[in-house]
Amino acid sequence: MDRRVFLKSAALAGFSIATLPATLLRANADGSKILRMGYGSEVLTLDPIKTTYGADILVQGMMYARLLHANPDRTEVGPGLAESWDIADDGKTYTFHLREAKFSDGSPITAEDVAFSWNRMRFQKDSAYAAPFQPLTKIEAKDARTVVMTLDRKFTPFLTLTEIWNTGIVPKAAVEKMGDDAFAKAPVTSGPFKFVELKPGDRVVLGRNEHYYREGEPKIDGVEFRYVPDDNTRVSMLQAGELDVCLAVPAPRMAELKAAGFRADPEPSSTTYDMLINHSAEPFNDLKFCQAVSYGIDRTAINAAVTLGLGTPASSIMSPTLDYFDKSLPVIARDVEKAKALLAESGKTGASFELIQNAGSADEEKAAVLIQAQLAEVGITVNIAKIDSTQAWTRLADGEYQAEMNWWYNETRDPDNALRWCVWGAGDNKSYYTRYNNEMVNKLIDEASGEADNAKRAELYAQIQKIVVDEVAQVALYHPTWLNAYAPSVKGLILNVGLQFSSIGGASLD
Amino acid sequence: MNRFSFVLRRPIQLIPVLLGISVITFLLLQMTPGDPVRLMLGPKASQEAIEFVRARYGLDQPVPVQYFYYVMNCLRGDFGQSIAFRGPVSGVIVARIAPTVFLILYGLVISLLLTFALAVTAARQRGRWIDHLIRLVCVAGVGVPSYFVGLLLIMGFCLRLKIFPVSGYGPTFINNLGHLFLPALTIGIGVTPILARNLRATFIQQLDKDYAIACRSRGLPESYIFSRHVFWNSLLPTVNLLGVVVAFLIGGTVVVENVFNIPGLGNLLIRGVLTHDQFVVQAVALLLAVGVVISNFAVDILTAILDPRVEL
Repeated sequence: MDRRVFLKSAALAGFSIATLPATLLRANADGSKILRMGYGSEVLTLDPIKTTYGADILVQGMMYARLLHANPDRTEVGPGLAESWDIADDGKTYTFHLREAKFSDGSPITAEDVAFSWNRMRFQKDSAYAAPFQPLTKIEAKDARTVVMTLDRKFTPFLTLTEIWNTGIVPKAAVEKMGDDAFAKAPVTSGPFKFVELKPGDRVVLGRNEHYYREGEPKIDGVEFRYVPDDNTRVSMLQAGELDVCLAVPAPRMAELKAAGFRADPEPSSTTYDMLINHSAEPFNDLKFCQAVSYGIDRTAINAAVTLGLGTPASSIMSPTLDYFDKSLPVIARDVEKAKALLAESGKTGASFELIQNAGSADEEKAAVLIQAQLAEVGITVNIAKIDSTQAWTRLADGEYQAEMNWWYNETRDPDNALRWCVWGAGDNKSYYTRYNNEMVNKLIDEASGEADNAKRAELYAQIQKIVVDEVAQVALYHPTWLNAYAPSVKGLILNVGLQFSSIGGASLD
Repeated sequence: MNRFSFVLRRPIQLIPVLLGISVITFLLLQMTPGDPVRLMLGPKASQEAIEFVRARYGLDQPVPVQYFYYVMNCLRGDFGQSIAFRGPVSGVIVARIAPTVFLILYGLVISLLLTFALAVTAARQRGRWIDHLIRLVCVAGVGVPSYFVGLLLIMGFCLRLKIFPVSGYGPTFINNLGHLFLPALTIGIGVTPILARNLRATFIQQLDKDYAIACRSRGLPESYIFSRHVFWNSLLPTVNLLGVVVAFLIGGTVVVENVFNIPGLGNLLIRGVLTHDQFVVQAVALLLAVGVVISNFAVDILTAILDPRVEL
């Protein structure tokens, strides 16, 4: 071919490709009702015992049924795969009676499967979140429909724990046959949706589980859970109709979405945003210094700046959405004079500390800068260090830090696992890596979890909350809400306090 | 040198390049502290589970030992395990090659079209207002970051005009001409100014050459001189520049894939670095390096086609 003819035809071909009508877009109309959700972090595994990671928890919650079932806003848990249950008089033996139900492959869900799922969650070495289940010592299938669980002490929060995501029931036969790794990539499910496809780092596609035990659920044909790391892109996709649900909307964009007709109301969350402080290191190894910092911080201003008023300033370490939250505790008002006096008493005048902040988190950056400015007025110098989250976690866990911006949430409304997570010094995570350890608090937490009487529990939890706030176990800043936006066609779907779409079964899509 | 040995030489040159890149990426990731396992298991994972998984992936071994096993495994075709995705790296990467290659080629086509349109217009209208305007636009184009261009395009074409989708990668070729048009335009806009300025300058240089003046003195029309002689003689420097620009395009995908949410290699590389997913980063870096070498190879061949005097 002549050189010029070649080049000319190549140019022509290029031109026609680039100018082809760009409206030749996706054809998506086969009539099926697939709910498309976008989230900022991606699904890494579909095995419920192998993770404590937000995206995994959200998706797995829609895939695996649990013994008990939560109502949409998780104010109560009721019969799930277990139709009924008996608790022995000593409070240490729980007997669950299973209903007739099937896995997504049509095989029956038996007591063997339940015992298998629970045993691997509780005892398997790489089970990520066995911590809340410490009192549980034995799980066995008594007959095809009965599971008996034995605890080593009276433990009131136990029933509410039988609903959390990592107790999801998996089929023994399939897991044993495929092995953990293969199962996690193509699981057989017990919840409202079955597994269809996993594209790592892109999306998980779920379909309707025809064998789901709850009559008439789910109402939609499937869920597409997409990873969209960029906040603005995620919002744009909702606006352009490419998503039905945009999870984790940046606070400044909520009003705009609401005005445009999306359902964009803040939803209650069990999250606490806080500054974790290392009680075993300078300068936070001194109570007076911790208190000086606590009084020097303006929680109301931080809440207003970061959540734009969509959250609440923290009074307790626990979120107000948790049971036994002590309403009588006031938000600590900023008191610079008192903070200065406490600082002088601590003998650490002129002290400084490094505040670690996850690079890339706009919210943490805002809060950290405010803390820096507010404490400067007290006479404490804060050096902000922005580091990436893998490194931040390592330093936190190793105790090689002074202060770090962080947050945590709780799976249940019951505060037991929340407190064991963040102030129980006897735990594996050393009070969420703060090294805060008060024997009295540890004892009170144990006592409260063994107490069946509501009023007495409330009293104990009030006592605990007061102590940990006084002793600044961590500097709780504010309690945010979940900021999600739903297309008007999405009906009946809410995200509950424990980061679960317990309402998904009844949700519909017009 | 004959063509055969030229073709043979390239893969051999690739070996030291790949070794160098693998050592550097390996060391860089090892030097930045951080634990991928903690991120993979999530904030509430127990210490015990984390230690167990770390040992399972061999992350408790000394660095040289890890690197040695890595190279030995690569030679056997095993590029390691993705820690985050709990599976072979190859499985994670293969599905992501097509979107990125498509995006780069599409971006290249668009930027070449823009380049020719701008450079030809500017050179033919030298010194007039349109020439100044084009040069101004080129300066601005170099200065504006691609994520900003991407956001503007999304706001205009996706949200206002609703012509293009915001995100994604479709199943068919035709489908993706629509899906990837804006992202390709974004990376195209990023490199066009470099190419267009270069091409315009060469056009002008050639228009003042003796052969062009000789043509004019013989009364040939200006458009004939340009399209018949000047145009073809001006292409070589820009084609050579193209080799460098393709590396830019490849780099540009990292940002653009994130803004337009395209499940490609750039996207994977970012999250791999952020989560310390060692072998994913290694594999993507090596793959991109191979891409750059291949594109330079293509440029050499193109040069030979354009200029028959050039021996490979």
